[in-house]
Amino acid sequence: MEKKNKMQDQLPVIELKHVDKHYGQLHVLKDINLTVRRGEVVVIIGPSGSGKSTLCRTINRLETIDSGEILITGEPLPKEGKDLARLRARVGMVFQSFNLFAHKTILDNVTLGPTDVLRVPKAKAREEAMQLLKRVGVDSQAAKLPAKLSGGQQQRVAIARSLAMHPEAILFDEPTSALDPEMIGEVLEVMTELAQEGMTMVMVTHEMNFARRVADRVIFMDAGSIIEENSPDEFFDHPATQRAKDFLNSIKDH
Amino acid sequence: MRDARTNIRDALYEEPGPITKRYTAVGTAISLAALAVLAAAVVRQFYINGQLAPRYWTIFFRWTTWRFLGQGLLGTLRAAAMAGVVTFILGFILMTGRICNYRILRLIATAIIDFVRGVPTLLFIYFFFLVLPQLGIRLDAFWKVTLPVGISACGVVAEVLRSGVNAVPIGQKEAAYSLGMRETGIFLKVVFPQAIRYVIPALISELVIVVKDTTFAYVVNFPDLMQNAKVLISNYDAMLSVYLVVAVIYILINFLLNRLSDTIAKQRPRTLAAAELKGPTA
Repeated sequence: MEKKNKMQDQLPVIELKHVDKHYGQLHVLKDINLTVRRGEVVVIIGPSGSGKSTLCRTINRLETIDSGEILITGEPLPKEGKDLARLRARVGMVFQSFNLFAHKTILDNVTLGPTDVLRVPKAKAREEAMQLLKRVGVDSQAAKLPAKLSGGQQQRVAIARSLAMHPEAILFDEPTSALDPEMIGEVLEVMTELAQEGMTMVMVTHEMNFARRVADRVIFMDAGSIIEENSPDEFFDHPATQRAKDFLNSIKDH
Repeated sequence: MRDARTNIRDALYEEPGPITKRYTAVGTAISLAALAVLAAAVVRQFYINGQLAPRYWTIFFRWTTWRFLGQGLLGTLRAAAMAGVVTFILGFILMTGRICNYRILRLIATAIIDFVRGVPTLLFIYFFFLVLPQLGIRLDAFWKVTLPVGISACGVVAEVLRSGVNAVPIGQKEAAYSLGMRETGIFLKVVFPQAIRYVIPALISELVIVVKDTTFAYVVNFPDLMQNAKVLISNYDAMLSVYLVVAVIYILINFLLNRLSDTIAKQRPRTLAAAELKGPTA
């Protein structure tokens, strides 16, 4: 896979500075610093409970933070209101459980954001939505409700729904963890294409082969901290810390 | 679709074995026999008291009787429909108060809901019938039925709607947030349309209660089915026969409403619940 070497020249799309978060006594994010530049694919891995999903969700303020700063294309993420919504619209999100709008058809799922938030005329939104659905290979299902589709199809629709907002970056929170094994490939394929087209992506995943193939950078988290940050080849072949070695060994055993 | 578990009963109880089936058959036979005896006793009692005399029943061979009852039925349907609209609008407003971010509004909404749920419908009717005119507020008989009946039911409707709103998975809201949608848009376009689908059967049950409550129309002299029945009774001195016929009409209305509710309830899981059951929630 081609790797983008000139990454350092690109502007940061997502910046986290000294981000801390507690759930009561539990310190779930400890002084997180992370910069994601335009076109970069960052994969976050780590054992369950390490805070990787929480980290991903703070970027869209689906989780609040206690202290620190989060910037989207240089603008600080507000705590509420119109400006928060405006910045959220710039960052797409794909969830583990798809979260397609259950009462809307596939097509309406994709057009809701553009028509409601970006005020795109309905006809234009539909036209573009159909193109996106075609791109992810579910255009033939456009008139159906989400429940009629397989998990893999639903997740590809969710990706199309994010793309319809023309986001600066897309967050993937374990996008394949809820899928039957035979459907994982079709979703990863769409994501690989996105990465190759230069989409900025932050991804929490357990798909190590995919991470090695597509990521520009791997972040390893444990107990709320970023433990390692490296190129995928370097991280998977020569993990620097004992915790990363233990984690990689524990998943290799299967 | 006999292969899938199609109803709650299938899901809650195991398949009956041969002994259970025998018990069930014997129990059914005994119950039916007891019911037949009971029905016969009732008819016999009517006969002894002369209630089966032709003069009580021949009135139903007259076109005018049915036309009069039909006018009453129309009144009942109009009143029930308007009371239903009133209760839905008030219930919706109370529900939004109940779930809003401002503590003071929540408290007010909760207090109103508890109040209207606790007060009998008849008291509301008396309020509109006796108290308001003293304050110089004059309303049509139609509104003297529909407003109190609607108010009386709106507390339950508010709570039913709220339970529907709470049943919508949080992921639906999160997906809308991540698109950059605002609270109002999310509520109106994502959450409420799903909530209403969850609670339609419960709302229709409440509509049945509204239909039954409109019988209080006789208090304010609004010509509904019950009021017209009373007129027939006093004209023909035929209490039992008229009440029986009217009861059957009410049962039919509410039976149809319940059938509608069942039909909707059966369709619902195919569109909504199935999606959530498939996808695990993280």
